[in-house]
Amino acid sequence: MWSYEKRLQYPINIKEPNAKLAQFIISQYGGPDGELGASMRYLSQRYTIPYREIASLLTDIGTEELGHFEMVGAIVHQLTRDLSMEEIEKSGFGPYYIDHTLALWPQAAGGVPFNACQFQSKGDIITDLHEDMAAEQKARSTYDNILRTAWDNPDVYDAIKFLRAREIIHYQRFGEALRLAQEKLDAKNFYQFNPEFDRCKS
Amino acid sequence: MNDYPKFEDYRDRFPLAMAYVPWQERPILYENLEEGFCNGTLFPELNKPFTGRRCVK
Amino acid sequence: MMQCKNDRERMLCDISKVSFAVVDLTLYLDTHSCDSQAQDYFNHYVRLLNQMKREYAMKYGPLNLSTADGYSSEWKWANMPLPWEGVC
Repeated sequence: MWSYEKRLQYPINIKEPNAKLAQFIISQYGGPDGELGASMRYLSQRYTIPYREIASLLTDIGTEELGHFEMVGAIVHQLTRDLSMEEIEKSGFGPYYIDHTLALWPQAAGGVPFNACQFQSKGDIITDLHEDMAAEQKARSTYDNILRTAWDNPDVYDAIKFLRAREIIHYQRFGEALRLAQEKLDAKNFYQFNPEFDRCKS
Repeated sequence: MNDYPKFEDYRDRFPLAMAYVPWQERPILYENLEEGFCNGTLFPELNKPFTGRRCVK
Repeated sequence: MMQCKNDRERMLCDISKVSFAVVDLTLYLDTHSCDSQAQDYFNHYVRLLNQMKREYAMKYGPLNLSTADGYSSEWKWANMPLPWEGVC
């Protein structure tokens, strides 16, 4: 189960509102490659993993991603909390404001609401670990895209740089988990059976 | 060219139709915890910064 | 970068750094469960972190419910700054 710690994993202290950046960064809140999707993916996959270290890794990374979800929410909140009506109407933030005022609501930058179609939990360890490695790379690419737009905003840039770095570490760990899974399977044919489902091999 | 061993030399240990991420082995940690924290990792060899720019007018 | 203006922010910054070490070592140990040197680092940082959180709770209020038992005249847990408000 989860307990809560009343601090962000990495400090966020943004002094200037910026509606344009908020609209971009909200994609890491509720978008297809965002932190909420990452967390739900790993926390969903872990139940049927037959190897404890890998199930533990999925739990631990899934938990860290919830902290990142919180960080991205804090960034969007601090970028929007002091916006004037004029800034809201002229920045393109207007449609979001009509439905949500300044509250956080998980959606992609393009407006697609968060949904479980953004992730897969396939129930096959080789498939799910590949999904997880791809997810970390997609998140990293999204952060690269955000960094290109935020290079002149040090408060935002610093926090996004941290979140991006974590994706690379997670990729390495999921890759190592795949190596662990390979060691438990037959190298002559890794796909002979699904260790999460098949109770016998033939 | 870098000094990593050629993958072809280890084909027997890495069958086809599978992906292999190298193990992190005997890692060195940042001596200064704050440096690691600000870089987003305790391990310098996993610090891969982004420096890309569009550079199209 | 870490810019801590007062004692509370400095303590919080230090807790963040040590907690981060615990998290990154946890993920490493999940895939390298036989690395006893990493386990020693982990043990050291966890003990240090627990002590730092207790000290912070006594001075400035609890970061976790497990350190929220030091007060009786006010419900300090709900009166802490919220993490997204913008402090170090």
